[in-house]
Amino acid sequence: MSDLLVRTEEIVKKAKGLGADEVIAETTLGRYRQVRFSNNEVDTTLAWNQYVTDVALAWKKRLVVTRINNFQKIEATLRKLFELAKVSKANPMFGGFAKGRFSYARSKADKRLREVKNLTDYVFDAVEAARKQAGSKIDSGGILFTKFEDVYLVSSEGPAGVDARSAVELSIRAFSQREASGHGVECSSTLKDFEPARAGTKAGEIARLARNPKAGDEGVYDVIFDPLIFGSLLGIWAPMVSAFSIMTQTSIFINKLSRKVAPEIVTIKDNPAAYSLNSRVFDEEGVPTKENVFIDHGVLRTYLHNTSTAKAFKTKTTGNAGLVVPTPWNAEMDSGDRSKDELLEDMKRGLYLTNTWYTRYQNSAKGDFSTIPRDGIFLVQNGEIRQSLKDLRISDNAQSLLSNIAAASKERQHVHWWEEAEPPSLSPYVLITGVHLTKSK
Amino acid sequence: MKEDIVDYALEYAQEKEVEYAEARAQNRTLETLMLRDSILEAYGSAVDSGFCVRILSGGGIGFASSNKWTKEEARKIVDLAFKYAKLAGRRDKIAFAKEKNVETKWVVDQKKKAENVSSEEKISTLVEISKVLSSCGVKIAATISGCTVDLVSKYFVNSESSRISSIVPRIGVSVFIAVAEQGKIEQASEQFGYSGGWEAFDEWKISEKMVGNARVLKNVILRGKSVKPGSMDLICGPEVTGIAAHESCGHPMEADRILGREMSQAGRSFIFEGGPFWIGTRIGNDVVTIVDDPTLEHSYGHYAFDDEGVKARRRFLYKNGLINEFLHNRESAAKLGARSNGSSRSINYNREAIVRMANTFVLPGDLTEEELIEDVKHGVYMKSFTEWNIDDKRFNQRYVGREAYVIEEGQLREPVARPVIETTTLKFWTAVDAISKKVEFDAATCGKGDPSQGVPVFVGGPCIRLRGVYVK
Repeated sequence: MSDLLVRTEEIVKKAKGLGADEVIAETTLGRYRQVRFSNNEVDTTLAWNQYVTDVALAWKKRLVVTRINNFQKIEATLRKLFELAKVSKANPMFGGFAKGRFSYARSKADKRLREVKNLTDYVFDAVEAARKQAGSKIDSGGILFTKFEDVYLVSSEGPAGVDARSAVELSIRAFSQREASGHGVECSSTLKDFEPARAGTKAGEIARLARNPKAGDEGVYDVIFDPLIFGSLLGIWAPMVSAFSIMTQTSIFINKLSRKVAPEIVTIKDNPAAYSLNSRVFDEEGVPTKENVFIDHGVLRTYLHNTSTAKAFKTKTTGNAGLVVPTPWNAEMDSGDRSKDELLEDMKRGLYLTNTWYTRYQNSAKGDFSTIPRDGIFLVQNGEIRQSLKDLRISDNAQSLLSNIAAASKERQHVHWWEEAEPPSLSPYVLITGVHLTKSK
Repeated sequence: MKEDIVDYALEYAQEKEVEYAEARAQNRTLETLMLRDSILEAYGSAVDSGFCVRILSGGGIGFASSNKWTKEEARKIVDLAFKYAKLAGRRDKIAFAKEKNVETKWVVDQKKKAENVSSEEKISTLVEISKVLSSCGVKIAATISGCTVDLVSKYFVNSESSRISSIVPRIGVSVFIAVAEQGKIEQASEQFGYSGGWEAFDEWKISEKMVGNARVLKNVILRGKSVKPGSMDLICGPEVTGIAAHESCGHPMEADRILGREMSQAGRSFIFEGGPFWIGTRIGNDVVTIVDDPTLEHSYGHYAFDDEGVKARRRFLYKNGLINEFLHNRESAAKLGARSNGSSRSINYNREAIVRMANTFVLPGDLTEEELIEDVKHGVYMKSFTEWNIDDKRFNQRYVGREAYVIEEGQLREPVARPVIETTTLKFWTAVDAISKKVEFDAATCGKGDPSQGVPVFVGGPCIRLRGVYVK
């Protein structure tokens, strides 16, 4: 047993010794590196190392949590936490932590991501690739981010495990003109097959096509969503299947289990698989993670649960704890039977959108929202990109967009960027019909 | 926090070939409460403590941080920051604008110390809000409330002999409600923030405000009608004025954004060198002056010195309708030939300080709210908002009303369901012809940076009247 697993177990034992009913401790030794760049140059390179243990303690249905940063004061911290539990209030919905011993898949984390040499080389690969597409005068910026976490989890209820989680992500936005830009991302859990030039090429290609944009017109369009912007839409739907969203009336999926919420071609799942930036072999209760198909051929099949919400909904945990709130790890939309090129070729008149940001709701139960496409916005006519557009906003409804999915591509990309395409996802190009676009007046 | 380790890190950094070095430490005692309806879902309590080193060397910046308080770790962190600064290999060398050294300690006082308030009282204060809501006569389908008590101590030293200590307690509360009437749901959320102690709750009157919100939502469900789209006058309440000031003035005036440093995340600005808008260009009617001011005592965005050790002051961003002064840190100021105006903020020891707003608001005029309304023949009063957003150049924005009313012949009439203004920054601020005299503030958490750094801010202003804008 590794030293840190032993230390984590000791924390659990100490908390139990104080009188806690149930305890989970999760120690994370994290090494994070980031290069930030703009105007084609490196602005800064950042490193942060973190050694912490997150502790959740339950006593008489009271749930209290802490993060231990100072390991000289473990006893005092736990004592304080237990005192807090004693004065806290019972949560009748608390259903205990997951019980039993589990075996976990072996982590496929890439140890090379513990400390990556020549971080800036990846950045310049991407910048050069963008230049090849859009010319030497482009202005590009973005980040390279690497993560390596050693994770040790021990629960008083049985689960104990070790995980290693690695990630590498390059995000580049290239401008060929002041209002002509493209965004590309390259996301992986491993350096194997990590090709930052792919992100640069895509950013540069879109930036080139986006030159000389004209103000778009309001209207109802058929829209092809690039994987990056469709990743943002998955980031709308996936958190809404968290049981907590159902309980708090912040989901379009309330009372829709076993009901049709999308066309038959739509299958969406949560799956923190080995390729994902957010890959993990167990959740925060120590339950093995797995693939959870939540929309199966258009029918809503499950919500995402931890042990407590599962009990409340009379079902089993899906391995999505969140000690307090069940959370999606990595959304996946099944691929379709068309190629990206075929989707474009078949479009008589519509839009191809490549990215978006600033998604906000009027009402998350009803699903009314707007979001602002950025980077390449293209008018497509008779199968060809005819004009670069700007200054449009999607003002629509989350349920309507889901219901109006008409086709998906065979190609899929693992995407994530900043807070806008979150959680990470495996996303195809997707055609949605009848999308409402508005603009400033 | 061990100040000797921080001092040691700086001394060690100065032994290297650096143009500039700083070490910044932060100790954060954070309590978090989360309630669903009147049920306490979880109570969190933690102390986070660590330090960072930032080095400017060879025109490049390196940054490294750790929560391990040893001299050995400090050396590792300095070595890493120095290595990363050198790694940049920039053609365009980064420099920092000159600043005076400062030695000071500043503290935000608490009338009722948050650390002395029992956990039981903290819980019961939050539970009481849910209880009041559940018996207010409106059908509340869900309530989510959260409270953070954040006691932050900082210690900052740099190679220019600055040495600054500070202690800032901050209290934040957020409340979300979903009102269900006649099978329809409407939602509202409010944020409350204060730099200081538990006395914040005496001023906020959260229950009263949220019950007001619940009744407004019920009224909208039962009586609200859509507005007939068209050109009309619009009066924005302080909440709407504040978000517009934050989004379409504060953000585009951040100099790092103007220089492109945030281009792939929070975006750029409609203001850029060689473009149609720059300092001195008209962006609004001359009645419009918008400031950002960290010096407002007990405001959520208050600070006396920023995270580069620069003294805070009021910044006049748009002045009498003209673009006037950008928000700067030392890096952006040097680039644009200016001086830092103390806008550099970081949320923790493990995040770089970047250009941020503090408290952004429209300065008051001399009319009453009633006088603004009585001079409107046909229009809408948008008192608060639900959905909002703005594009990444900060020019095309949209605000959707939560509480809103028709105005006819100078009188407030029936409620309007979700009226929308979708317009440009230039049109919005140019349309303003009158401003009321009472400024109100709302707390907010401003997002920017990668990884994202949500910083506490106030947004606010008085009521403003816009003439002839398109509302739908």
